[in-house]
Amino acid sequence: MTDAANTDRWIRWLNTLQLVIAGALIMAPTVWMVLSSFKPSFEVTAYPPTLMFSPTLENYVELTKTTPFLSYALNSLVVTVGSTALGLVFGIPAAFAVSWTRISWPAILTLAARMAPGTLFLLPWYVMFRQIGMIGSYTALILSHAVITLPIVIWVLLPSFDAIPRSVFEAAQVDGCSVTRILWRIAMPLVASGIAVSAILAFVFSWNYFLFALVLSNGDTKTLIAAAFNFIGEGSTQWGALMAAATLIALPPLVLAALVQRWLVSGLTLGAVKG
Amino acid sequence: MSDTAAPLTQDRQKLEMAALSAPAVVFTVAMIAFPVAYTIWLGFQTFSQTGKQSFAGLANYSKLISDYEFWHGLWVTIALFVLSLVLQLIFGVWLALVLFHAKRLPGIVRSLFISPFMMPPVVAGMMWLVILDPSLGAANYILQSFGLPPSDWLASPSWVIPTVALIDSWQWTPYVALIVLGGLQSLPPSVYEAAQIDGASPFKTFQRITLPLLLPTIVTAAILRSVDLLRFFDIIYITTQGGPGNASNTLNIYGFRVGFEFFNIGYASALMLTLTAIVFGAVLAFNRLRGAVAW
Repeated sequence: MTDAANTDRWIRWLNTLQLVIAGALIMAPTVWMVLSSFKPSFEVTAYPPTLMFSPTLENYVELTKTTPFLSYALNSLVVTVGSTALGLVFGIPAAFAVSWTRISWPAILTLAARMAPGTLFLLPWYVMFRQIGMIGSYTALILSHAVITLPIVIWVLLPSFDAIPRSVFEAAQVDGCSVTRILWRIAMPLVASGIAVSAILAFVFSWNYFLFALVLSNGDTKTLIAAAFNFIGEGSTQWGALMAAATLIALPPLVLAALVQRWLVSGLTLGAVKG
Repeated sequence: MSDTAAPLTQDRQKLEMAALSAPAVVFTVAMIAFPVAYTIWLGFQTFSQTGKQSFAGLANYSKLISDYEFWHGLWVTIALFVLSLVLQLIFGVWLALVLFHAKRLPGIVRSLFISPFMMPPVVAGMMWLVILDPSLGAANYILQSFGLPPSDWLASPSWVIPTVALIDSWQWTPYVALIVLGGLQSLPPSVYEAAQIDGASPFKTFQRITLPLLLPTIVTAAILRSVDLLRFFDIIYITTQGGPGNASNTLNIYGFRVGFEFFNIGYASALMLTLTAIVFGAVLAFNRLRGAVAW
């Protein structure tokens, strides 16, 4: 008996050890990035690298002084919020209709679009947006990023709508409610938490998306992610400011993801896994 | 009683449903279907120096077959895809097992585990660029303090693909782990109990029972990762732009540069359509595999 208990304790200890190792490997690079962003400039590039230093905000100050960081951030916010809103406005009714009618091709269509390489659309978009003078406009950026958000909203919401018992809708129908009214008054309140998760996921992936803004934005509408490329161009002596920029760009998605981490798995797999 | 108060007729309901999905469908047709059709058309066009376009037939596609850079890009894409996928699946399953046996994880720990793939790939590229710097980076310092030889990482033509695979695996292994964890949690506990009673060792239980039951979930994770890995872009564009030389020039990077740096729209269209066919082909193949391992 004591032998079995001993083995058991051993196994549990071994598992905890593995958990700590995995956690360290996952966290270390991010921790290093954040630490570097608070190092005085002469210490960021010190070799051997230092762990002990007196933290300073000079990198963040320099970042806002030497680059239009805040206006990039504002551009990112406009594009991300705009495309998330568009994704919700188009996606919620579509998900509801797909769930109700079981006609799934509209949902599959948006998913197929999500799987194709972005450059495939970017080429014709560039040609078309240039012809109507929309390169560099918020509209072009929001429309292109809605291609990211729409399938996320639809596929995160589908299981939520599917989970509502049909009898709820049928009762409302007998009472003479129109489909739109059922969606607005009955279905949407029931899936409110699903809508919140889909909105946050859409926000995160739109915020993180690089390729479209790289081509479709101009100096005035450049998003943080597209501008990140310019921060790197400033050379290795600017590591502190570079890491400060990286930290700030990563902050909004990380904070939002932490808020909904419990519901993330099923959302991230677009319903492929019920988690 | 007014008309609207009556129960909805089938036709009326169908119409309302169509109206609800109409905005999403119209948007997708306008932003995806039409542009893709346009790209297919562009793939048959050639543009002269002066911007005059003319029908080129299959010229862009025959150029592709004789283009060394295309075959090189295909090789880089496949090497990166295989290496990253294998790393992420192996470590993802391992991490999932560790998390599964840890039972209750506090929310904050879970948040830390998902943080790599919630941050922009561009940021991951920025921070690894600093860590992997050949002369001042922390990675080489750690290697050397263990008496190991330093590496040029992203600056080395022979190491750049494994290095990029490593960065991507750092970012996405926790994602694979969470999917596999979901699969583990949905397995019926009765199978483990039966194996335990039969006196099977933990390793045998994993090999004979857990792994076969998990295969469909693992294939699902493989599909989700493949779609991203075959069109690899962000991390490479931020760190090496396809270099050094053309050592990390994936098809997606190559197609992007042909289109937006050399403005050869016709040829770039042919390249991107070929890459799209590869991605969808891989998804279909994995989907059949999933059917084969389903239980």
